Amino acid sequence: MLIARLGLLVAVLALWQLWSLAGLPEYILSPLEIARHFVAALGSRELYEHIGASLGRSLPGFAVGSALGIAFGLAAGMARWFDETFSPAVFMTYPVPKIVMLPLFMLWFGIGDLSKILIIALACFYPVFVNAYYGARSTPRILVWSAMNMGASRWRIFSRVVVPSALPLVFAGMRVSLALSFIVMFATEMINARSGLGYLIQIAENSLRFDLMYVSLVTIAILGYAGDHLLRAGRRRALAWQETHA
Amino acid sequence: MSRVRPFLLLGALLLAWELAARSGWWNQLLFPSLVDIADELVRFATAAEGWHEAWVSLYRALAGFALAAAVGVGLGMLMGRSELVAALLDPLFSGTYAVPKLALFPIFIFVFGLGSLSKVALIFLECLYPIVIITYQGARGVNRVLIWSAQNMGASRARIFARVVIPATVPFIFAGFRVALPVAMIVVIITEMISSIDGLGYVVIYALASLKTDRMLAAVVVIALLGLLLDRGLVLLRSRLVYWDRLETYYV
Repeated sequence: MLIARLGLLVAVLALWQLWSLAGLPEYILSPLEIARHFVAALGSRELYEHIGASLGRSLPGFAVGSALGIAFGLAAGMARWFDETFSPAVFMTYPVPKIVMLPLFMLWFGIGDLSKILIIALACFYPVFVNAYYGARSTPRILVWSAMNMGASRWRIFSRVVVPSALPLVFAGMRVSLALSFIVMFATEMINARSGLGYLIQIAENSLRFDLMYVSLVTIAILGYAGDHLLRAGRRRALAWQETHA
Repeated sequence: MSRVRPFLLLGALLLAWELAARSGWWNQLLFPSLVDIADELVRFATAAEGWHEAWVSLYRALAGFALAAAVGVGLGMLMGRSELVAALLDPLFSGTYAVPKLALFPIFIFVFGLGSLSKVALIFLECLYPIVIITYQGARGVNRVLIWSAQNMGASRARIFARVVIPATVPFIFAGFRVALPVAMIVVIITEMISSIDGLGYVVIYALASLKTDRMLAAVVVIALLGLLLDRGLVLLRSRLVYWDRLETYYV
């Protein structure tokens, strides 16, 4: 499997490199050139500052959005009155692209980082909410009944029965949200920022610095990939019991 | 009571908004009154220009989505029914799944130009992933007993595909569409906000730059309605086509 995966990757890169020998337009660099520029950028402070600025926006946004999504989603999945008043508003605004709120957030919270973090949090809230909600709702009733029968308190049922059975879906929602947080982070930085990877790619484009454009692209790709892997590793740890039981 | 209850929270929020707008504590720019927004909305809907901007955005989103649907369903089906294709393509899709494709937009602008094409191409790419991955999941998981029975009864390969595999996969295909369609709307608005001279995303940015927040919010309302309508349309289409498999979600 690993060989197939690497084989295809190498084949694509080799074709691309060969194609560059035949002459590429100047806005498409060959893989070796990209690697060279990327390694060169790794030696500079500037790249780390942009990475720091970007992560300083996307991670707090992701954390806040996911935490609220989990809390509200589980609550809506468990408490009927809350479900009936809160969920419809969420499901009705679900297909609306949340990024349109960015200009308004910029007016309310300033053009600095706060408005970006909040818009990322808003975008991340939805997938986590929906998944936590369905996760809590799909808890097998028989488990809840057994726990009640054995005299478990409401809190104990929540923490020992509902949360574990909702966890796989919660992670699925967080995985979507994490990818979304990078997209929205990048978008907000391209629209309006003074730092960050989206800003870097924007100035690179305006000044025709194609090397910087690809450096930013490779960096965001690596960050997205690494974040996804970290989350999946966390999932494996948190759901270790699932592998053995299900 | 139960009929109005779903709208309780939204209604309360709108009321709070209007109170904030009328209170005079904040600048009118921060909380424009709902009346002003409605005014702008009417102006938007009665001017040919407004319909044109909405149509441009809708056209880009649907063009990218339709391309992704055609290619994605094909690829997903192939991957689900052929181990070779799956072994080749699955690493490609799952490996680049978490990479924000939006970062390719500046390059797409150079390759496809500043007009609609670069946006449609990016929408296509972003929508392709959920459609391929979910279709693949569905096509791979077709109940073997059904295929065996069909074979036993002497059905040809083409017939098995048309009568067993496709019906079993269609619910998944629609699940993929339902993830991809809002993505198409997100990407069209983002790309229009970043670089465009038309479309609803451009209207939002332009209204903000000219400090017309009521006009900006009217555009936001139009975008929201469009997103909602597309989703409703898709659900409706699904319930007509996949009548044997009811959607088990909260809000259909």
